Amino acid sequence: MPLPLYYFLAITAINILMSWALYLPYRVAHLHFLTVANMAISGYLSGWLVQGLGVSFWAALPLGFAAGGLIGWVISLFIGEAPTFTVVIVGFTFIYITRTVIENTKAVGATMGMFGLPLVAGSPALHRWTILALLYSLVLVVGFLIHRFEHSRLGRAASAVFVDKDLATSFGVDIAKLGRLLQVFSSTVAGGCGVIYGFLYRSFHLDFFTFHLVGLFMTIIFVGGYATMWGVVVAAPALYGLTLLFPPEVASWRIVIYGAILVAVLVLKPEGFVTRRLVLNLERLLSSQRKKIQ
Amino acid sequence: MEVLVAQVINGLSLGSIYVLLVTGFNLLLLAAMIIHFAYPQVVVFSMYIAWVVLRYTGNSVPLAVLAAVGASVAINLASAPLFQKIMKNREEVDINSTMVVSMGIGMIITDVLSHGFNKGLPISFPRQLVGDVALFRFGLISLLSGQAASLAVGVLAVSGVFLLLYKTRPGRAFRAIAEDPNGARLVGIPLLSTGLQSYALSGILGGLIAVLLALMLGYASPGLGEQVAHKVLAVSIIAGLGNLPGGLVVGLALGILEALAQGYLPGSWSNAIAFIVLLGVILVKPRGLFGLKL
Repeated sequence: MPLPLYYFLAITAINILMSWALYLPYRVAHLHFLTVANMAISGYLSGWLVQGLGVSFWAALPLGFAAGGLIGWVISLFIGEAPTFTVVIVGFTFIYITRTVIENTKAVGATMGMFGLPLVAGSPALHRWTILALLYSLVLVVGFLIHRFEHSRLGRAASAVFVDKDLATSFGVDIAKLGRLLQVFSSTVAGGCGVIYGFLYRSFHLDFFTFHLVGLFMTIIFVGGYATMWGVVVAAPALYGLTLLFPPEVASWRIVIYGAILVAVLVLKPEGFVTRRLVLNLERLLSSQRKKIQ
Repeated sequence: MEVLVAQVINGLSLGSIYVLLVTGFNLLLLAAMIIHFAYPQVVVFSMYIAWVVLRYTGNSVPLAVLAAVGASVAINLASAPLFQKIMKNREEVDINSTMVVSMGIGMIITDVLSHGFNKGLPISFPRQLVGDVALFRFGLISLLSGQAASLAVGVLAVSGVFLLLYKTRPGRAFRAIAEDPNGARLVGIPLLSTGLQSYALSGILGGLIAVLLALMLGYASPGLGEQVAHKVLAVSIIAGLGNLPGGLVVGLALGILEALAQGYLPGSWSNAIAFIVLLGVILVKPRGLFGLKL
């Protein structure tokens, strides 16, 4: 497989997973940027386990998921039902603290980062196929779980919380518990993504986990559409692919391009391109076609 | 003891910058009901414009001040229609969209600064313009002109904005529009011109803050706005969103905390200490110490 295609597919999968990790808490109006910090913490932790202690990648990966989930759970005890701006600032603050701790921790390479991580499978080609298989299996599993969530009582409860918290409470929705559940799930996914992200490049560096990443995931969600999980699936490859098509001198302005697209979409098409109505219409269309075939 | 007193003085002047930024931020929040997350980025952009004017006019300070204020007002007025469009959609879009749009504007400003000015390197202001003239000196303890100016302007700005919003007719008009635009229109308040006045006013304040920051810090960098933005939002949340006296107290306290950390801890950790304390307070009191004033 050509390397550019490999990186496009792998990074698209990471972007889909991380944007879903941000999308899910946003179902109850929480912009949970803690996910980016979790990505860094689990990633560096796995790097240290593999390179420093000689643990295998396959043992470090579940530990990465667990670390993400654990941090997400502890923090969610405090901000499970906090207002959006509070959740935002907790995420940003956590990113700063994580970066400072990593910068000052020699065991994970401090400002130099970690390089020369081992292959996850026997040869470079097999390594690449394994990473892709792992990522897309994860996309399928996480996608399935989110899909089930959306069509469950909890999904409807989340929609009610998003529209009106007081109304949701009067219907008997436990806002704090729901917020915690979604935050823990998203942190767990982010933890696993962080591990794979580092092993994809076989290195970790603080520049991998900047605020640009937050901007990218946010753009993917709001441009794709924050009301359904499918917006992310459409926007992640489109936005990442878009900048690859530009000449290098234009592509270096990609953050400006993402920012401009984000602002324009929020002003002109507030629900994004893949709206709930569009998804419902498509589901109805598919259902009628299926009945015709039967 | 001398170190302690010196650091408290440094902290008060640093805190006064936070106070000014939080006041500008709260002004837009109270007068236009938007969470302008990118307000500090607008201020840093104005610093860059002042730097350009200083370079091309042989260090003409009046022109630089005018340019800084002009740039800040221009960006605020240019972004006003975007926010107002979103506020019009408030029935169908969640209020947090204003914060996300603001983050998008912040992404654009930060990236423009890192690509378009001084090859992305930090800029420094001419030494003779930086307010480092000692008004008094006693051992390690000194009070610099820039520090005194920022502290005085900080207290004046908070008092001025407080009086404007709560004791004058235009202030009541600002708050009425933010609270209920239709009700404000019914009682004869011109929505467009009054709304624009509030953006222009916070722009003027932003320009003045830019000048004071240049005076105090003597430098600026593209990432400065981003870092300060997170602290400003954190201070606003801890103080209680829209709470002007609370912003004064918490802003000064953060400045003192940071200065003490710088005085007694290794440099690379001092910033993290401030964020850890901010995080701790936000987690325990997610709705602020002094209560919301919205």
